[in-house]
Amino acid sequence: MFTFATDYFIGVFISTLGALQFAFSVGGFRAALFFKGALAARTLGLALAVAGFALFFETEFRNINDYEGGLDSPAQALFFFYGALAALGFTLALASLINRRMNAPEDGDDDPEAGLDALRETNYAASAARGAAHWRRHWRTWTKRYFSP
Amino acid sequence: MANLDEALFLAINGFVGTLPALDRAASLVASDYLVPKALALALVAMWFMEPDRDARMRHQIGVITALAAMSLSGLAVFIINIFYFRPRPFADMDANLLFYRPTDSSFPSNAAAAAFGLAFGACGARRNFGIAFIIAAALYGLARVYAGVHYPMDIAGGAIIAAAATWTAFRMRDALMPVLTLAIRLARVFRLA
Repeated sequence: MFTFATDYFIGVFISTLGALQFAFSVGGFRAALFFKGALAARTLGLALAVAGFALFFETEFRNINDYEGGLDSPAQALFFFYGALAALGFTLALASLINRRMNAPEDGDDDPEAGLDALRETNYAASAARGAAHWRRHWRTWTKRYFSP
Repeated sequence: MANLDEALFLAINGFVGTLPALDRAASLVASDYLVPKALALALVAMWFMEPDRDARMRHQIGVITALAAMSLSGLAVFIINIFYFRPRPFADMDANLLFYRPTDSSFPSNAAAAAFGLAFGACGARRNFGIAFIIAAALYGLARVYAGVHYPMDIAGGAIIAAAATWTAFRMRDALMPVLTLAIRLARVFRLA
């Protein structure tokens, strides 16, 4: 379709979208899902994961050496990282938009380290903003605990 | 030993052409992009899928350990290849090739070392994932022998290097546990762990 690296990036992006939907559904992090139902979320997740592979392998012949246009191991790792990071960002942004009404006061107000558990009731944008605000207020005391002798 | 390795290679690679569907499947599994990407995706899922917070942290430390084991395996293969070069099977004998012609050393298999490094590393955190990873890595290695780009000993060598690298990664994990814990707690503040 495009260059080899771009095709790989797109394949990783789509597959990671699927893996994330599946994982968030199993974890019960509802505010990070595109569909609330577990069956719909997991079906979408598996379908996207497979689609990412199919799109990459079915569009062109992929068994080629790195000096003939393929990717060597470091480049492959780098493009996987970019693709997965883009998919994570896209997932959290789109799920925040879809679930914008999930903005309940969260445990994070009491527990700044609620982590992914905060995404059970609160969308990522709202939850991460609270986490960031907490970090801005308390980062000195937070890091002091670790780095003081 | 070398004769046994070559005999085993010829026995496995000799099946090429018997079943076209098997050849296509082996060519796909042996690809540089199927098993490594599938294992990496499974690690992404492993990072995010655990509902229990403490178990999730164990899995996330397992993901980091698996990546460290893979990196150390790659480094070990790189160092070994500075001193030792083994030609690919298709360069030495009449092999059936289902793959492109790699120019780097056949022993140890870099692909097998990386895949087994991820698998052994993941095994320490979540056994069912680790076992699935090991099966995938073994199939990957077998497919590469079948496809004519590695001798069986290359794959075994890669797996042994991965085991040693994983042992080192576990020791590093234990030594760096406070730093890993801090990094994951920081990621929790931003709802990423």
